[in-house]
Amino acid sequence: MEGTELIAFNIIATVGTARSSYISAIDAAAEGNFEEAEKLIKEGQDAYVEGHDAHAKLLTQTAQGNAVTMDLLLTHAEDQLMSAEAFGILAERFVTLYKKIYNK
Amino acid sequence: MNIKIALFCAGGFSTSLLVNKMKEAAAAKGKEYDIAAYAVTQIEEIGPQASVLLIGPQVRYVVDKLKKEHPAWKLTDIPMHMYGTMDGKGAIELAEKLIGEEETWKEQN
Repeated sequence: MEGTELIAFNIIATVGTARSSYISAIDAAAEGNFEEAEKLIKEGQDAYVEGHDAHAKLLTQTAQGNAVTMDLLLTHAEDQLMSAEAFGILAERFVTLYKKIYNK
Repeated sequence: MNIKIALFCAGGFSTSLLVNKMKEAAAAKGKEYDIAAYAVTQIEEIGPQASVLLIGPQVRYVVDKLKKEHPAWKLTDIPMHMYGTMDGKGAIELAEKLIGEEETWKEQN
């Protein structure tokens, strides 16, 4: 596989894992399992950082004048990255909200 | 019996590329499996027909629920780094491990 293709898959796998962890965190919080929810949020953040770093490499490469060829796979990777970022922000708020509901 | 390996992710797009890598890896081992990628929304329909279900890291959150609802299904998630490196050989071995467990179970019962 080519370099960019491999980076795209790395992004899809890592931020995909992050997104999945965030959703599981919301599910855990809904069950009142806050320790598990916090653990899953942390796992999600770690995986997200890995994907974000891979994406940053492509940005650096572009900034250095070596333009990256955009294709559907890379577009998909960025799409997943954005989705994971949004889920991360929302998952934290959902956990906070469930804590309030459970502690009522 | 024809062994059917079904992979699931959000839309079945990126996973179809892993399917190609798995087909290559299976052919290299002289094995013939029916391997295909699907969207996770098709899982209730495809699940009963599949010998093994491999779940992509993007939709790993469905694994626990599916294991509870369908204890007979042979399913597992594809590890993040296996998916990220498009490790077709590793994914075939993962599927074979689950099939192997099934065969052992049949022998014992």
